[in-house]
Amino acid sequence: MKNNIKVERAKKDLTQAELAERVQVSRQTINAIELGKYNLSTILALKIAAIFETEVNCIFELEKNDWESK
Amino acid sequence: MKTNYLFSHRFKKTGWALFGLGVLLGFFALFVNETPSFFDLKVFAISSDGLFESEDTFRIIKNNIFNEIVAVLIVIGGILAAFSKEKNEDEFIAKIRLESLVWAVYVNYGVLLFAVLFIYEFSFFSVMIFNMFTVLIFFLIRYNWMLRKLKRMTLDEK
Repeated sequence: MKNNIKVERAKKDLTQAELAERVQVSRQTINAIELGKYNLSTILALKIAAIFETEVNCIFELEKNDWESK
Repeated sequence: MKTNYLFSHRFKKTGWALFGLGVLLGFFALFVNETPSFFDLKVFAISSDGLFESEDTFRIIKNNIFNEIVAVLIVIGGILAAFSKEKNEDEFIAKIRLESLVWAVYVNYGVLLFAVLFIYEFSFFSVMIFNMFTVLIFFLIRYNWMLRKLKRMTLDEK
């Protein structure tokens, strides 16, 4: 899954720490999501979208290998 | 949704202190032949001489309780250190917790399989005594190592 959290953060002028605080997770979690190392929950995805005032689909995008069994 | 079976964050430090004390006393007990005699106390024993083998059940017996104190400290301290929430417990930490737990159970049963196949008689029980604590010990090592790695990775990023 691809994401553009970094871009959205820049638009809103938010650091990882500030975004983390607003969606009530640790900074490590935001960093891991940005780097594509953690697939977040739907609730957290919706919260992040709410902070960026956009739709979840505009931040997260499925990749081809997400359809492959793991 | 909110149930995660974890203790409050404030128990974490107490847990580590009890666990550390238990491990220290445990090593002490390993290296001295006899533990102090003032730990000789009368205790209630459901069984003390071969489970299902003797009639020596539900009796008061005399026992040196040093080993029992060590085990209780390690188990309670270890549980609190391992399963108290982080300051900012979240879903990603929950995932690391779960992975570390799976890993620790594998190690525990790996040691058991190894001991069953290659270690016999009295040595087997020595390994088993150590193996009682491997789930907690390997969980604590793996979990805290992963958390530290993540924190370091995060510090590198802006």
